[in-house]
Amino acid sequence: MIILHLLPDAFIAWFINIILIAGAVTTVAGFFVKFIPFVNTYRIPVQIAGILLLTVGVYFQGGYSTELAWRERVREVEVKLAAAEKKSQETNVEVITKFVKKTKVIHDQGQDIINYIDREVVKNQEVVRFVENCPIPEVIIATHNAAALNQPIKEKK
Amino acid sequence: MRYLVISLILCLSGCAAVPVTASFPAAPAILMERCPELKTIAKDQVSIVDFVKTVTENYTAYYECSAKNLAWQDWYTQQKKIWDETK
Repeated sequence: MIILHLLPDAFIAWFINIILIAGAVTTVAGFFVKFIPFVNTYRIPVQIAGILLLTVGVYFQGGYSTELAWRERVREVEVKLAAAEKKSQETNVEVITKFVKKTKVIHDQGQDIINYIDREVVKNQEVVRFVENCPIPEVIIATHNAAALNQPIKEKK
Repeated sequence: MRYLVISLILCLSGCAAVPVTASFPAAPAILMERCPELKTIAKDQVSIVDFVKTVTENYTAYYECSAKNLAWQDWYTQQKKIWDETK
């Protein structure tokens, strides 16, 4: 059926119709026309040729109809896929936009807190006293680092 | 022999496949980026202020990664729905 893809539709339809008409005419002539001398002389071969042509024509017509039905189905699927692709692209844009906005809010809020620490927390008297008098023990730093890296704590002995 | 080969080729030509293929869409590159490693404190001595800043940065990194994970789930759910509708 790949050959049908290579030929123009009009040519295929024209070719099949010619075969069908020729088959029908030859069959009718072979069976019913007796006044034409040539047909009357070669009655059997004309009948065989007519039936053969008609059979081939009907076969081609069936194949071509099926081919057209498949092409229509392919067109429908292509339209459906194109719509899905468009919708998919729109969804991509929608999801990414939402994600970028959300990430920006999260980042800004984190930055705001760090700015607040730099601006306000460092001036807090209680914090200043704590920083001056209470260094953070190494074990706390080691524990924090281990948690951040999700690794076991290396104990110093 | 020549006619046999031609006949075979014609017969095989009937096995042409329907020329429509579709594949599941590729994920956006931004969602494929890996989450960053959490920050550690490099110095042995650090003030409570710097300690809190590092913790804050790590919390922020977590929330950013969580947002990415949610976006992934959202993307997949919606794309799968669109994909299923084409069948």
